[in-house]
Amino acid sequence: MTFVVVENCIKCKYMDCVEVCPVDCFHEGPNFLVIDPEECIDCALCPDECPANAIFPQDEVPEGQQGFIALNAELAKAWPTIDARKTPPPDADQWKGVEGKLKHLERE
Amino acid sequence: MSEATTTKEDRPGNAQAGTRSADLTREDFETAQEVRWCPGCGDFSVLKQVQLVLPKLGIPRENFVFISGIGCSGRFPYYLETYGFHGIHGRAPAIATGLKLSRPELSVWVVTGDGDALAIGGNHFMHVIRRNVDLNIIMLNNRIYGLTKGQASPTTDLNVRTKTSPVGTADRPLDPVALALSLGATFVARAVDTDQKSVMEVLERAAAHKGTSFVEIYQNCHIFNDGVFERVSSKRVRDDNRVMLEHGQPLVFGNQRDKGLRLNGVTPEVVSLTVGLHTVDDLIVHDEKAPGTGMAYVLSQMRPPHLPVPMGIFRDVEEPSYEDLVASKHEVVKSKKGKGDWHRLTHSGDYWVVQ
Repeated sequence: MTFVVVENCIKCKYMDCVEVCPVDCFHEGPNFLVIDPEECIDCALCPDECPANAIFPQDEVPEGQQGFIALNAELAKAWPTIDARKTPPPDADQWKGVEGKLKHLERE
Repeated sequence: MSEATTTKEDRPGNAQAGTRSADLTREDFETAQEVRWCPGCGDFSVLKQVQLVLPKLGIPRENFVFISGIGCSGRFPYYLETYGFHGIHGRAPAIATGLKLSRPELSVWVVTGDGDALAIGGNHFMHVIRRNVDLNIIMLNNRIYGLTKGQASPTTDLNVRTKTSPVGTADRPLDPVALALSLGATFVARAVDTDQKSVMEVLERAAAHKGTSFVEIYQNCHIFNDGVFERVSSKRVRDDNRVMLEHGQPLVFGNQRDKGLRLNGVTPEVVSLTVGLHTVDDLIVHDEKAPGTGMAYVLSQMRPPHLPVPMGIFRDVEEPSYEDLVASKHEVVKSKKGKGDWHRLTHSGDYWVVQ
């Protein structure tokens, strides 16, 4: 089992989650964070920290976002670890809750 | 650990029980119970590593037993799809000893905490290790009484403020590794909860060792003692504050692997490997198999801030297990007097009938 970062993180990337993770399992992309499913210990600390409500246990990933399970696993291998919060993008609050953000995901 | 000697075919009427031990995965050891520790607890990490290690051992699930006492550690058996006991405070080693003597083919694990094992359970802790019963002890050491919400434990550092020590503790703490070594433990290891790879390694080695395997896990209690192991847990600083013990290798540590430990008399001291005065040849070489515990005990005394904390396997030696010794005593008596007759024993000597 693991926790999964889903669509609402894209272009918000608040990074509050990173501060509480005891095992540093978050990986950072240009406008999105993912959780490495091999490192996550299911301690459930991160979901409540996320202002965008973008983290779910694998079994509770919302309808239509199941693709994010594999996406987290894939991108965690490509992206570097992040263990401290940085400044979120200036327009993070405008993107909170916006639907269909997957097309804005930057991989590089 | 002893391998299972019974298979499901040996037990009549149980042909469908268990999964073939060769096919087990982590999921087979997860239960339907919601895992309830505080979010952020280090216990989640240990549970995960145990669920990853057990499938590799070639033992069917029904041959595993996890025995706990009281504390947050006491919850552990509920979260594993194996047999288990949630025992009374500090008594898991006694229950485990009895079980192992009567069912030596089972893979017996004790999960305990610094409070459960070293306060009320100190006596049983001492004797199970002294006897070298073939089982594995995982101690979740968070240096506090977590379940009861923040009282000082026998491993809480001196002068630390807790709910029972508002102006700081007046007790010198026990070091579980040092204690285990002084009891003659045949396998002693330590890992920190956030270093998952290291936790897995010590658990695998503990499982493979025959005799009592004692593993101390530095476990973070997020709510009542957060950050107590920070210097050996945080990836940024841990390599400067801990030395990883590897059998046959010199004690080198540091983020840049630029420091080492040598003996000054019987006291370890840190030397630089880059200044030019010392090389790896001057350093202590770790020996897990040393017959005595002296050197391992010296290592166990290393404390921050001046010395790094040793992690990994301190000792791994083979000595006869308690159940093997007990069995051999039985053979001695049987060869002289034959197998015992329980009926004759209970009907011998003086007895009374109450009417």
